[in-house]
Formats: sequence, structure tokens, C-alpha cells
Amino acid sequence: MAYNVLIVDDSATMRALIRKVLKISGFNIGEFYEGANGKEALRVLENNWVDIILSDVHMPEMDGAALLQALRSHNLWRTIPVVMVSTEGRREVMGVFEQLGIQGYIKKPFKPEEIRAKLTTILGETGGADATELEGCDF
Amino acid sequence: MQQNLKAATFEVMETMFFLFPETVEEVADFFRGPGIRAWVPVNGPQLFRVGLTVPLKMAEEMTANLLGEDLDSIDADKVTDAFKEAANMLAGAFLTREMAPGSVHLLPPEAEFLNLEEQQFRANTTHLLFAVDNYGLEVFVEKLQGGQNNRMAK
Repeated sequence: MAYNVLIVDDSATMRALIRKVLKISGFNIGEFYEGANGKEALRVLENNWVDIILSDVHMPEMDGAALLQALRSHNLWRTIPVVMVSTEGRREVMGVFEQLGIQGYIKKPFKPEEIRAKLTTILGETGGADATELEGCDF
Repeated sequence: MQQNLKAATFEVMETMFFLFPETVEEVADFFRGPGIRAWVPVNGPQLFRVGLTVPLKMAEEMTANLLGEDLDSIDADKVTDAFKEAANMLAGAFLTREMAPGSVHLLPPEAEFLNLEEQQFRANTTHLLFAVDNYGLEVFVEKLQGGQNNRMAK
């Protein structure tokens, strides 16, 4: 089963890097979607199903916390697993995201195997909805 | 603070760029020609910035390695974005090691291109100098005017 991934980061470099890491990791990826902030991520979700979201914390216009709140208050998107990928490593800061229900956290700088391991754990545990199983659904 | 800055530098350079900085006595020859400086303002009880400076050629090579692209495809925008992200990771790693409280916030990274020969590079408690192959790497923490109040962050 291939998983659709949404990468949300205001740095085009970081989006490209995460994409590259996922491609070479051997993880079964269907479609890659990208957004430079939370608003762009929500626009992607209006038209596409994703199985997991990898999101930065600090972004202009709509940051990671606001994105997470928007997802958790939405009927369909509330169950999409979210992994924060951020330079923030402070427990005090990340605790806020844990309360908002993130499924995992990867601290930058990261090793490629950390991303693969995190995705394997999360999608294995949650099952991850297959895009083909959702064909015909009204969004 | 110096040890945490050094450790954060190694963490970012080794993990993301597969580079291994070395501490050297004399680095003047390693900072030649055009360069790039990127930094992250950090706001809290004090306002300061955490950043790094490298020769542009090194920055281009690092960006190409990071993205897995040919050097020919690396332009100023890609270098700027990659170095802002490097500064971001450096600042994040540094603050984590300093165990800074949650009231200390990273602000959006900034970057500028500069002529390295017009700059002075001296190692001290807040400026660390390294050699990476034949290039220089400056890493710094500098206090800025302002901040939420006058108390020390750490």
C-alpha cells in the first residue's frame, strides 16, 4: 500500500530534503503534496487525501499549532496522523503539540532513518487510510 | 554556552551536511571572497541572534549536497533558503542544549551576502571559528538591542 504524504514547511529546501529522504528510504510513497504554511496545507487537503502530514512548527501566516488545531476540529481531517518536524527540541514547547494530539516528533537536524522509522511506526499502528479506498467519498 | 554552541554546530554540520568542522588556530585564509551569513533572532528575556558565516563556494557545495543536486543547478535563492534553514537548526539545537525556557522564541531566519574580506573573524567566547576542508566557518551568538525585558535568558 502506498501512502500519500503532505509536507508542510516554509523552507523549500527542507521540503525537498524530506521528499528526497522519503524517496530513498524505501518507504512506499504514493503522492507527495507540499505546503509552505498551514493555510496552504489546508488548501491541499480540500482536494486530496493524505495518509500522514509532516509539518514544521514555525511558519508564517499559519504555524504548526494553528494547523493542528484546524485539523483536529475538522470531521475528516482530525484522524490524519501529524508528525512535527522542527528545530524545536524543548520539552516545554513540544508538550503543547503533544496535548494537541500529534503522533510523533522529529527534531531537525535528523537522520534519514529517523523519518522512516517514525513513519513506519505511525502508519503501522494507525493503518493509514488508502487513497483508493476513499474513492467516491464526498469531501 | 561555548560548549553548547560548539556541540550544536557539530550536530548540524555532521547530521545534515556530512561535514566535520575542525578547530584551527589561524583561519584568515579560509575566509576569502564572497560569503553568506545566516542567523536566527531569538527573543526572550534578552534579544540575541545565533548564526553562521561561510564562503559562498562552500555554501553552494553544501546546498548541492543537501538537496542532492548538481552544483550547476544551485542558485542564490537555494543557497539563501538552505542557509536560513541551517541557521534555524543551529539555533534550535543551541537553545535545546541551553535548556532555554519556552518563553524564549525563535524568530524567522535572515540571511545576507557579504564580502568576507571586509569582515573581521576573531574567535572569542561568542564567536567560534572552524575549518571545513579549505573553507572557514564562523558560528556566533550575538546580543542585540531589545528583548522582552532586561533579565538574562540563561
